[in-house]
Amino acid sequence: MNLLPKKSANNVVSVILEQLKDVEACLKEFTSFMLVAVDPSSDYSQLEIMASKVSQLEKTCDASLRRMIDSLNATLLPGTRRELIDIATLCDEVANNCQNTALMMVYQNFRFPVEFSEDLMRIMELSGKQMTMLMNAVSRMYTEFGKLLKDHSILDEIRAAETEVDDIEEKLIKITYSMDIGLAEKMQMARFLNKVADVSDIIEDVSDAIQICLIMRK
Amino acid sequence: MIYLLLAAGLFMGWSLGTNDAANAFGTAVATRVVKYRHAVIIIAVLVIIGSFLGGQKNITKVSELAESNKVVAAQEEVEQAIATGEEAVAQLQLKSAWKAFIIFGCAGLTVFLMSYLKFPVSANQSITGAIIGWGLFHANYTDPQVLAINLPQIEKFALTWIVNPVGAAIISFVMVTISHKFIEKRLTNLSQYDRMIKIGYLIAGAFASFSIGLNSSANVTALYYDPYFSSTGVAANLLTDPRVAATIGGIAIAIGVLTFSKRVMMTVGTSIATLSQVDGFVVILAMALTIVLMGEWMGIPVSTSQAVVGAVVGAGLTKGVKNVNFGVFKRIAVAWVSSPTVAGVLTYLVALASQSYFAT
Repeated sequence: MNLLPKKSANNVVSVILEQLKDVEACLKEFTSFMLVAVDPSSDYSQLEIMASKVSQLEKTCDASLRRMIDSLNATLLPGTRRELIDIATLCDEVANNCQNTALMMVYQNFRFPVEFSEDLMRIMELSGKQMTMLMNAVSRMYTEFGKLLKDHSILDEIRAAETEVDDIEEKLIKITYSMDIGLAEKMQMARFLNKVADVSDIIEDVSDAIQICLIMRK
Repeated sequence: MIYLLLAAGLFMGWSLGTNDAANAFGTAVATRVVKYRHAVIIIAVLVIIGSFLGGQKNITKVSELAESNKVVAAQEEVEQAIATGEEAVAQLQLKSAWKAFIIFGCAGLTVFLMSYLKFPVSANQSITGAIIGWGLFHANYTDPQVLAINLPQIEKFALTWIVNPVGAAIISFVMVTISHKFIEKRLTNLSQYDRMIKIGYLIAGAFASFSIGLNSSANVTALYYDPYFSSTGVAANLLTDPRVAATIGGIAIAIGVLTFSKRVMMTVGTSIATLSQVDGFVVILAMALTIVLMGEWMGIPVSTSQAVVGAVVGAGLTKGVKNVNFGVFKRIAVAWVSSPTVAGVLTYLVALASQSYFAT
């Protein structure tokens, strides 16, 4: 007895991964944006073009999120559908955050000081790695959740990366508040540091949601 | 007109349906694994099938208990009425129907009162308690002969308080352990897991519904059944065929399921949702299996609520003693003892008040 058509179930996992690929593409574009944003020689128009590209990719992510939600109809149980939608919505938050940060940096003509570039790029590198691990985890959650339940080291690695990002963020915020600039500028810079580090936070939240989804089936 | 007295039994069947349906599909409906509409249709159909195919056995057993407690007319009484004439038979038929009406009325009132006072209650146990309550007044329990017939019945009934939940716990413990080893480990992907859950709940719910039909239909109409019709050819009670009696009981339960079971189903479903999804349907399977086995072994209807509580405890024990909330037993033990006791006392008082009518 096959109550849930296999073809349709496979379609769900491919649509979920498609959405994650779109989010990853958006994150990659945001990383490129950040690379330019920490370069004092880059010009404003280049950043503006890149921010609009990030924004464009975010719209693609929204469309793939809707597609993913549509594909869930009656294929899985309501509880599972709810969990997958929560996970996909959280993943979409990554793209939203990238778009919002890039646009705000352009609108406010904001640049990070050049001495932050190494740490910021490390944050972006760690976020990119987290995203790759997340895609792997989501795929495995769907296709081999039993194994992932036993060996969730990939989720632990995502968390470890987030801890490192947190440490870097804290260090940079400390430096920011010790800089010889106005309070408003300090607050603006701290806010953007938070936004850049938020990507890693959100990915960690997704990994937590995956773990909850697994534990519910333990 | 006399058939209006069937209403009390049918009402009891209706209330059994509103409550017992939750044991079969409560968790599945509350967690939206199975739609409420689908669940009630499955329960209604399977309850009727269960009562039609196997309910008659319990009809005979309950009727025996009822006879030894002077609720259902004994063979001599029937034969004497036949010898006296048609009017005496009609009188006996009316009295039998009234007795059944009183017993179902008292059992129903017990369920209502205890539910109103927010005490856990068992409808099945209330009916048995009411029968014994009637017997304690009318059957002369001081007579060693009467005692020799009734005591084993009462012992058997009391024994189900222990054997039923303990049996359910053991069966559930074994089944859940097996499912952990052989089913859950093989579920590797989400869609497979969901498929398993859906099929599992449907099978378990359907089996549980069947077992409810098998077990509980007797509690709806057994007291209206005339066991001596086939030998005398004269109906001294309202229903003369055990299969028909059981099926009418099943239909009454099914109507309860179809009309008023949603609220209880959601309440029961969410209260035992702490189990994993797989354990959830295995527990229902264990409950249903216990009811069927108890029916075979003990030969009397047992409490489905006791069986489900025992099965949940058995599932909890697979993860260690600490995983079981033994505090809950206090409330449940109160229900097991108080349901038949209150119904018995109530029926005894009604028997006392109505003695002049039934003594003649």
